[in-house]
Amino acid sequence: MENAVIRFDQGFIQLDGAMGTLLQQNGLKPGMHPEEMNLTAPEAVTRIHRMYVEAGSRILYTNTFGANARKLAPAGLTPEQVIPPAVQLAKKAAEGTDALVALDMGPIGELLEPMGTLTFEDAYALFAQMAKAGAAAGADLAVIETMTDLYEAKAALLAVKENTSLPVLVTMSFEAAGRTFTGCTLASMAHTLEGLGADAIGINCSLGPVQAAPFIRELRQHTGLPIIAKPNAGLPDPDTGAYDLTPAQYAQAMLDCARAGATLLGGCCGTSPDYLSALRAALATVQPTPGKPEGGSFVCSPTAPLPVNGVRVIGERINPTGKKRLKQALLENDLDYVAALAVEQMDAGADLLDVNVGMPGVNEEELLPRVVKKLQSVVPLPLQLDTTNPAALENALRVYNGKAAVNSVNGSEESLRTVLPIVKKYGASVVGLCMDEKGLPATAEERITIAKRIKAAANAIGIPDEDLWIDCLALTVSAQQEQAAETLKALHTVRCELGLNTVLGVSNISFGLPNRPLITQTFMVQALAAGLTLPIINPNQTELMDAIAAHRVLCCEDSQCAAYVARFADAAAAPAAPKAAGQALSLEESIYRGLQKEAADAAKVLLAAGESGMSLVEKRLIPSLDRVGAAYESGKLFLPQLLGAAQAAQAVFDHIRAAMQDGGEKPVEKGRLVIATVKGDIHDIGKNIVKTVLENYGYKVIDLGRDVPPETIVETVTAQRIRLVGLSALMTTTLPAMEETIALLQALPEPPAIMVGGAVVTPEYAQRLGVTYAADARQAAEVTKTILG
Amino acid sequence: MSGRADEVLRYLGAGSETLKESSEAPALRREAEQLLARAEAAAAPKTLCRVFPLAADAATGTYSLLGADGAPVLTLSGTLAHTMLEGCHKAALLLATLGLPFDSMLRTQQARGMAQAALLDACGSVLVEEACDRAEAALREECPGLYLTDRFSPGYGDLPLTLQPQLLRALDATRLAGVYLTDTCLMNPSKTVTAIVGLSTAPRQARIRGCAHCALRDTCNLRKDGKRCDSL
Repeated sequence: MENAVIRFDQGFIQLDGAMGTLLQQNGLKPGMHPEEMNLTAPEAVTRIHRMYVEAGSRILYTNTFGANARKLAPAGLTPEQVIPPAVQLAKKAAEGTDALVALDMGPIGELLEPMGTLTFEDAYALFAQMAKAGAAAGADLAVIETMTDLYEAKAALLAVKENTSLPVLVTMSFEAAGRTFTGCTLASMAHTLEGLGADAIGINCSLGPVQAAPFIRELRQHTGLPIIAKPNAGLPDPDTGAYDLTPAQYAQAMLDCARAGATLLGGCCGTSPDYLSALRAALATVQPTPGKPEGGSFVCSPTAPLPVNGVRVIGERINPTGKKRLKQALLENDLDYVAALAVEQMDAGADLLDVNVGMPGVNEEELLPRVVKKLQSVVPLPLQLDTTNPAALENALRVYNGKAAVNSVNGSEESLRTVLPIVKKYGASVVGLCMDEKGLPATAEERITIAKRIKAAANAIGIPDEDLWIDCLALTVSAQQEQAAETLKALHTVRCELGLNTVLGVSNISFGLPNRPLITQTFMVQALAAGLTLPIINPNQTELMDAIAAHRVLCCEDSQCAAYVARFADAAAAPAAPKAAGQALSLEESIYRGLQKEAADAAKVLLAAGESGMSLVEKRLIPSLDRVGAAYESGKLFLPQLLGAAQAAQAVFDHIRAAMQDGGEKPVEKGRLVIATVKGDIHDIGKNIVKTVLENYGYKVIDLGRDVPPETIVETVTAQRIRLVGLSALMTTTLPAMEETIALLQALPEPPAIMVGGAVVTPEYAQRLGVTYAADARQAAEVTKTILG
Repeated sequence: MSGRADEVLRYLGAGSETLKESSEAPALRREAEQLLARAEAAAAPKTLCRVFPLAADAATGTYSLLGADGAPVLTLSGTLAHTMLEGCHKAALLLATLGLPFDSMLRTQQARGMAQAALLDACGSVLVEEACDRAEAALREECPGLYLTDRFSPGYGDLPLTLQPQLLRALDATRLAGVYLTDTCLMNPSKTVTAIVGLSTAPRQARIRGCAHCALRDTCNLRKDGKRCDSL
């Protein structure tokens, strides 16, 4: 099938206006799916399209906004039933004109992970089903509109591009503050969707043309694609829902959007053919405003755009090489630990995070995308996906929300061939390593040759210079002393002659030398002076971050030294260390007061003095937690302090675990239990509080998460021979799911003990079901002690 | 501003004696104030309020909020609805939400530690109640000469949570405020409150605030201390 040739970049293209209001005037009843009209009132649908054609619309959006399988299911309909007639009805209206028919796809109507429970993969499948039906029915293009979640827009865009050859337009809905409901910024939207291959992007719904115009201008700075403006007929009256602009006012305001750079213009809620006629007349008086994006390197998450127009710190901590605790966490699937590493680096000032989970014993192709999802649920920072496994890379880029960086491609023919197409498809930035199949060249000149080769290959496949960052590679100076200068020389050339951003893993330089931080810091400063823009470092090393803060001052990146002054303002005022080593707090007191570092230090001292890990737990840690618990119960301590003590205990546990592993002792484990919030319950902070407290009594908590089906709980209990299950339900509407889960568990041959809690659960309710009630985390610990010991 | 911080600590279960006497309270209060400020900066609070004509049906004992076309958009029945709405000729639907960015912030905070997260969660509860109070105050201003009942919500008394889908539809809450509902009637973003307020031309006696109406009266820490949350 041949697609219509559409030039989006020549002159204005008028889109259509609202469909819903006109359908209501033509018999759509409240509660009825608009798409049903394609079957029950086809003439009315064609008539509406035709009115828009006559008003000058050259792209007609089919009546399929909500035609996904989820939304249609309650009406007993499928996309395959409503989409083909919808396309045909629009085509009929376009007959004899040059108007094109666009398959319209709106939001699914459910929140995607991590905010909701719909998975990215399920969202993709729902959109793919629509896209296939639309293409088969002969749509000329596809439009994805009214998106508030960039992740959902990405799922839809991939679905169209992978299942059809249709051109595709994408618009999202922004609030007056310039963000969508999910917090997505205009810049993040522009870079992400352009990278993924959208043919035009823009905004629709939510705002009137007056409010939309400045946002169109902002989009222009971030994209070279044609820009779409399809706003409402002004702002709605809160009581009547009526919009406040007349057709003439609307058309005049739309000219502001045109001047701001939009070339595809139409209307959303509240507009009608009258508005579009007025728009046609107004557009005839002006010419499109040419404009160009600012350009430059850019990566992002939906909420955190990161232009690389100065030094940006890449945090290196999420990499298992040489990190025992992280290795263990990855093997045990403890992604909370990985998330904590990410937040720690963000708080220390990292701008983006390198993510490497490659190690023996893990399936990277499955693990990397899962870690990406987990990290994006807790940190807004953009990620740099660090893997040598192309399949793992593609899986991770696919589920990444935003524009990621990729670490890395090298100059070998095979690497260029396998990695670059993946980078291009998902619109990422990529790090090019100055090495190839022959290894790492010794001279700067040879490294530049490889850099140029990578640049040529990237450009040839459509990856622009700003998306290519070059790593000239730092070697260990104690082994190859003369190499440090070669690295700096190559780096300088790449930055100044090729004009590319540069990446460098700085810490390698100081292996094997005393006072490593000094060498690392000095080398990093030299590299920054030579043109390094993206140092990969441990941001928790204060001396490195201090040096970067100073560098930003000296390069005018830190306007009026504001960030530098803020960074050191507190340092000057801070009092000297409060206590000498001799006055260290006891382990018991540190835990009671929730002091993590002090508790860990005290544990270290006790372990070094020969106390066994087990005795430390039994004789000191647990009694301290009990003391905290009792103080909490009597109202002397608050919940944050109960949890603070638990966190201090966690720090102690980390040390004991490490020490016991080193000494070959059996790890401390007092017994295992499963906890979950029941099916339908999506808010889980209470359950997480219970988990924190129980873990720090030494119990192994298998956390099945939120919205957990009864079957999953039963399977886990059976497979792992679990003796205690903790269930939480927040609302009366989820109590039935709790009861169902309890019934299934009680029917097992060896039923586990069950404790329940949550806002609506009462002791009487628990008693009636034959389970134990735990009012809070403290009581949960008591219950667990009686059952698991 | 220690009033707000104390409110946060009350959400965390602190009785008024603890607030006065605990040596830990000042530090927590400071932390709560900082978190309140950060949450206010990060959240994108949104309120919706819409007034509907109210039709009482004596035969069925129901109260219906009527849409522009005169058809009911939400019909309430039961003791609570009757107590609150008898004599009202209009009713307003209110919604306040801190938005999804607050939930993102809460996930980040959980990775820092559950102690910090519990505190932030309580800050969110305080902020969304404040947003509700603001919406109610605005409603009061828009309706001079009318008397407002206490706010009440699905889930209170015998008013079922299953009214939420209709209530959110009547406010067009997904489109206008980004609020979603699970099929178990849980609202997402998590810090979202919906409420109904009756409007009448005569002063209203019926109250909903207070222990007699509260689902938590058996487990409430304040009550254990012999205190009430509406008279602190």
